[in-house]
Amino acid sequence: MTALVSPVVPETIPSATPYLQMRGITKAFGTLLANDHVDLTVRDREIHAVVGENGAGKTTLMNILYGLIHPDSGEIVIDGSPVRIRGPRDAIAVGIGMVHQHFQLVPVMTVAENVVLGQEPGGIVVDRRAAVRQVGELSERFGLVVDPTARVETLPVGVQQRVELLKILYRGSRLLVFDEPTAVLTPQETDELFEILRGLVAGGKTVILITHKLNEVMAISERVTVLRQGRNAGELETAKTSPAEIARAMVGREVLLRVERDEAHIGEERLRLDGLKANSDRQLPALDGIDLTIRSGEIVGIAGVSGNGQLELAEVIAGLRPVTDGHVFLGGEDVAHQTTAERRVHGLAYIPEDRQARGLVLPFDVKDNLILGSQSRPPFAQRGQRNSDAVDERAKELIQRYDIRPPDPEAPAQSLSGGNQQKVVVARELAENPKVLVAAEPARGLDVGATEFIHRQLIEQRDHGLAILLISSELDEIFSLSDSIAVIYRGHIVEVVPSAAADRERIGLLMAGGTIEGGTPSASQVAQAAAALANEPPGTPPVESAHQ
Amino acid sequence: MDIVNTFATILARPDLWAGTLRFAAPLTLAALGGVISERSGVVNIAMEGMMLVGAFFAVLVGAATHDIVLATLASVLCGGLIATFHGVASIHLRANQIVSGMAINLFALGLTSFLMFRFYATSGTPSDIPALPDVNIPVINSIPFVGAVIGDLNSIVWVSILAVPVTWWFLFRTRIGLRIRAVGEHPRAADTLGVSVFRMRYLCVILSGLFSGLGGAYLALSVAHSFSDNMTSGAGFIALAAMIFGKWHPVGAFLACLLFGFGQSLGINLQGTGFPDQLVAATPYVLTVVALAGFVGRAVAPAADGVPYEVGE
Amino acid sequence: MRMLAAGITPVLAVVLAIIVGGIVVLASGSNPITAYESMLVGAVGSPFDISETFISSIPLILAAYAVSFAFRSGLFNIGAEGQLYMGAIAATWVATTLSDWPGLPLIIVCIVAAMAAGGAWAGIAGWLKAKTGAHEVITTMMLSYVAIDISHWLLEAGPMTPANAFGTPESGPIPPQAAFPVILPSWILPNARLNASLFLTILAGLVFAWILWRTPLGYEIRAVGLNAKAAAYGGINVARRLVIAMVIAGAFAGLAGMVPVWVQMRLYDSFSPGYGYEAIAVALVGKNSAIGIFLAGLLYGAMIHGAVAMQANANISGFLVQILQALVLFFVGAEVLIRWFLRRGGFRALAEAAS
Repeated sequence: MTALVSPVVPETIPSATPYLQMRGITKAFGTLLANDHVDLTVRDREIHAVVGENGAGKTTLMNILYGLIHPDSGEIVIDGSPVRIRGPRDAIAVGIGMVHQHFQLVPVMTVAENVVLGQEPGGIVVDRRAAVRQVGELSERFGLVVDPTARVETLPVGVQQRVELLKILYRGSRLLVFDEPTAVLTPQETDELFEILRGLVAGGKTVILITHKLNEVMAISERVTVLRQGRNAGELETAKTSPAEIARAMVGREVLLRVERDEAHIGEERLRLDGLKANSDRQLPALDGIDLTIRSGEIVGIAGVSGNGQLELAEVIAGLRPVTDGHVFLGGEDVAHQTTAERRVHGLAYIPEDRQARGLVLPFDVKDNLILGSQSRPPFAQRGQRNSDAVDERAKELIQRYDIRPPDPEAPAQSLSGGNQQKVVVARELAENPKVLVAAEPARGLDVGATEFIHRQLIEQRDHGLAILLISSELDEIFSLSDSIAVIYRGHIVEVVPSAAADRERIGLLMAGGTIEGGTPSASQVAQAAAALANEPPGTPPVESAHQ
Repeated sequence: MDIVNTFATILARPDLWAGTLRFAAPLTLAALGGVISERSGVVNIAMEGMMLVGAFFAVLVGAATHDIVLATLASVLCGGLIATFHGVASIHLRANQIVSGMAINLFALGLTSFLMFRFYATSGTPSDIPALPDVNIPVINSIPFVGAVIGDLNSIVWVSILAVPVTWWFLFRTRIGLRIRAVGEHPRAADTLGVSVFRMRYLCVILSGLFSGLGGAYLALSVAHSFSDNMTSGAGFIALAAMIFGKWHPVGAFLACLLFGFGQSLGINLQGTGFPDQLVAATPYVLTVVALAGFVGRAVAPAADGVPYEVGE
Repeated sequence: MRMLAAGITPVLAVVLAIIVGGIVVLASGSNPITAYESMLVGAVGSPFDISETFISSIPLILAAYAVSFAFRSGLFNIGAEGQLYMGAIAATWVATTLSDWPGLPLIIVCIVAAMAAGGAWAGIAGWLKAKTGAHEVITTMMLSYVAIDISHWLLEAGPMTPANAFGTPESGPIPPQAAFPVILPSWILPNARLNASLFLTILAGLVFAWILWRTPLGYEIRAVGLNAKAAAYGGINVARRLVIAMVIAGAFAGLAGMVPVWVQMRLYDSFSPGYGYEAIAVALVGKNSAIGIFLAGLLYGAMIHGAVAMQANANISGFLVQILQALVLFFVGAEVLIRWFLRRGGFRALAEAAS
């Protein structure tokens, strides 16, 4: 697919009136001012980055631009004339298209159906042949390889993103908004996406890129608008700024861009996976013989593109997914066929990848969430009854130690911010002095402050001898926390390297399924790996694909 | 041996099979309405109430006008009207859709019985109400067995059968059907493409009311030729079960309705044979449970079924 | 404030329902004041009527506990009616079979039988849900119809039909020593039928709340109901909890089935006017709490009993009650509407708290 997009460097075309202006946008949710007189100016045919921490108001601003949220005040001007955007229909009509962070795709429908939805070819009856043809043509024209007749749920995320892009191109949008588009991509896929973006700009489109990754801002944007706590915090020319300056504007103070950690003091073996196999939800092999050892005092990071078995790995270790073959040794004992509850007693803790869907019972109050997993054991249960005093005491202690806000044990978990929700999960998982911690995406969706806090906790626990298996789709997180890095690809651990010796490019290539035999990979290898990744659905049986 | 003979005789009766189609017809109409509503993401357990309202107003308007078209129209429109309440509650007021559905069932039972007492307390409903016409098919009529089964069915039975492919075509081939399914699976995705979630859902909920209303009209103007308190006696709930049993698909729902219709018909045909017909009456329900547990497996509802949509969430 | 907020919606829903119901009465050409007055007098106008109101309420309350307990585990038990039938059948069968037993042991065995039968019947649906994922809305409803058909068979042509039945579908009499003691002796209130099942109902409410809020089992059931994925992650055996929740729910329903039989002292074919279905409304109006359900059940029971007098005295269909019950339920469901009314009325804080 890379071949189809020529790497065009966009020419900067100076233009008298900016293409898009948002002026004095204000939006309050209850007492929270999500946008407070925010201005945004985007020039024609530029790639404009909008950056800020979680909760800075980026997504609100973009949802206002797309008509999903109505501002309390402020105006939107396109090509010099003010426009009213009352809903997505209006936004589409004035040429705005959006690739949402959480893909807005109907999983059970085909690519073509998703693309044409709302503007279907045909009369009363949808002309499905025309839909497939038009989507096919479009994907060819823009170099976005995808099968129009495939069901979206069978496609890997990278390809789903292309479907999102096709949706807005089908509608002839001129202004393309991308909300955190690289969160789900490998470094190689990210590079490809950037190529595509440059190609689109060369072809006359304008791009707004919402992100919190500073290296991406530096790599692709021409100008940057920084938001902080719902207000403008700077508008910078990328060429004349630095990551440190942007970060300062984002956070409002100097930030350390890396985590401080001492050398690991590695002790005895705590968790050993031996030939571990398991199936995905669709009953296809997802783990194909995982061998991995984690010892006391070390953090082992699992690097991989989402959908290569990480999720299944965490669940299998936690006892939430049946083992089809192999062993899980926890402190020397094979727990492969024990229940989750039994494994917890044996010292296993697990920070799940999705705190809202799995880590918390959201309507429960904080104190009840703080005992989840220990609810039926003393001191919280005694003679078949709940010991409320012990529950209260535990809540008080943990709320104080982890500075959970508001410090109200009876507040429902759903009323807490994302960072505080994650603190509840982390506090609970560490409270029973576990021997092994599986931490999946521990900082997902958290702002810089909360991320720092969670990372510090993990490092601290490691220094106290905890064995930690870290699963993250953020390569930065893997690199900054891990003592060694294991790369997972299609249910295999393809390599384990000490993080000090790990090379980013190489890890990225391994994540994409590339093999390296002496020397650096060739460009065609990268392309092949990426294409292979693009065409295989997640959870494709690794065993079968090996014969292809 | 006796039992086998009894059953063989009954299975050879055209009445059994004609009865199956007759009993299945109102269930099919209500279940198809349910499929449409739930495909758009609105849980509808109010088919029972909508049928009851349809049945009552069919009789009321039929008695007043002696016009079968007006009577049928009234029942369909009243079904649609009461469905609109469910729509407002579940779509605009974001009420719990099961609560709203139960409320509508109770309300329909209360209202129709209340009005029944008000208008026909002493005499019962008049006997001179118009009837829905039967369809006499000349050629088929003369074929043995087949003629006796389908040669002389009520027009609404044919409507219910025809409604199955039409509903399928509507949901899976038309532009609006594509949008309906998108709204039921992922309303946000549809909304971001300018498809109005509210409009689709209102349309579907009201359509389900029209279908159920017609089912009620059939019960009142053909099967019973009268109205009595709570005369639907659970048909709407059976239709609900058929919809889930049929995995939210028009054809599946229809097959499930046929099964229930067969059970009812079999129970009636077994009367007087010395067989405990009360237990036979239970067989379709037992079969449903067994089938559901055994080979139908986990039924998957539309992903956004029952979840109110909030703009700008 | 929290208690007040929890109660405000149902109370306002009742007020709104009375207003809208009044409009319906007015539109049909009758006087709503007369209607409500006769209903109120009919429900609580005399000690005897109060006793009868309780009799109407008790099966509703118990069956609502059955709906609600399952609901707390995330299951929609739409088939309390069938569980109630099984409870009634089992208790009657035990009582008529062991008719020579002395009173207290017989009562206890009957209660145990009712609860076990109801629990087992509901447990089937729970087990099928846990094992195969069969949708409980269908299985409980289907099993309801099956239970009712079984009772028809037993009473019309089956082993429970007494020899001298004269074609009436009914069981033999419950032996008198098995009866619940009447609460008010006849020298205080002649003919009052309210019996000790009221204390059983109160006890059931306490057990309901105790299990849910004071035991690890209750914690686990609620966790499963609110987020099954998180529950499994917390080491809870979700399948087993679902089955247990349904069995406990069914036990409440089984008890609910025994009570009306023990008032009439005989199992009649149609002893339940749909308690199991109305219980769904009671559970929802009572917001799935023990005390809320008790109060909602009393309200619904009072309306049912008051309707009899209203229809006789004011010549207005007793089915007005169903309309009122439906409206209460509708307004409880459409809380947004209530909050809007509160805000319009200037009770902003209350409106926020009610959300």
